[in-house]
Amino acid sequence: MTRSLASILNALGLCAIALVLAVAFAAQLLLDELPCPLCLLQRIQFAMLAVGPILNVRFGPRPSHYAVSLFAAIAGAAFAARQVLLHIIPGDPGYGSALLGYHYYSWAFIGFAVAILAFAAMLLFDGQFRDDGKQQPAGAFARAAVWLMIALTALNVVSTLLECGFGACADNPLAYELLKRAP
Amino acid sequence: MEFTALFLAVTVVMVVAWWGTRTLALALFAATLLASIATYLHHASDVLKLSF
Repeated sequence: MTRSLASILNALGLCAIALVLAVAFAAQLLLDELPCPLCLLQRIQFAMLAVGPILNVRFGPRPSHYAVSLFAAIAGAAFAARQVLLHIIPGDPGYGSALLGYHYYSWAFIGFAVAILAFAAMLLFDGQFRDDGKQQPAGAFARAAVWLMIALTALNVVSTLLECGFGACADNPLAYELLKRAP
Repeated sequence: MEFTALFLAVTVVMVVAWWGTRTLALALFAATLLASIATYLHHASDVLKLSF
């Protein structure tokens, strides 16, 4: 695998992570389902997955950049597994609505597991780590993917501030804290 | 509030990874990862409101 092909695959990975965050946002806005604290932690780990690919696009592929994302994926999988286990008793309705039969935290666990497999698979190709001395500038597609990720994460800053306000976030949030009108 | 701070920290890590130095980005990433794990462990000790 060449360095340029690895950069393109990393940019595609950024698009996939952006899609996950966009779907979570769509569920929040269209279904009016506010994310719980554990759901927010999983979203944060999805955003942190993007740091490795951004470093790969900027500085060229390195094993340490993939390791960074693997750490985020393992933490995210642990957080999602915790929420799956909280609702595993038969008869428990789960938190929020289900998408294609699975709740969001179940999809998040699958997503983190796929990310671990994908980053491990990328590490198999040593050719991308051979430095030919030429620093290739990121292409327009890769730059757009990086900007998309930064913009979506910044939107989550605003959304979470509106939802939780300046105090502790509610266990089962039903309304945006900063948008509530004083009685 | 801590979740807003974590999202803000991840945004800063991304911006540093794109414009700043690699070493600083990796250091900030490690700090943010540790902060998110600490937040998880803090909430893991909350009383559970189970539905059975």
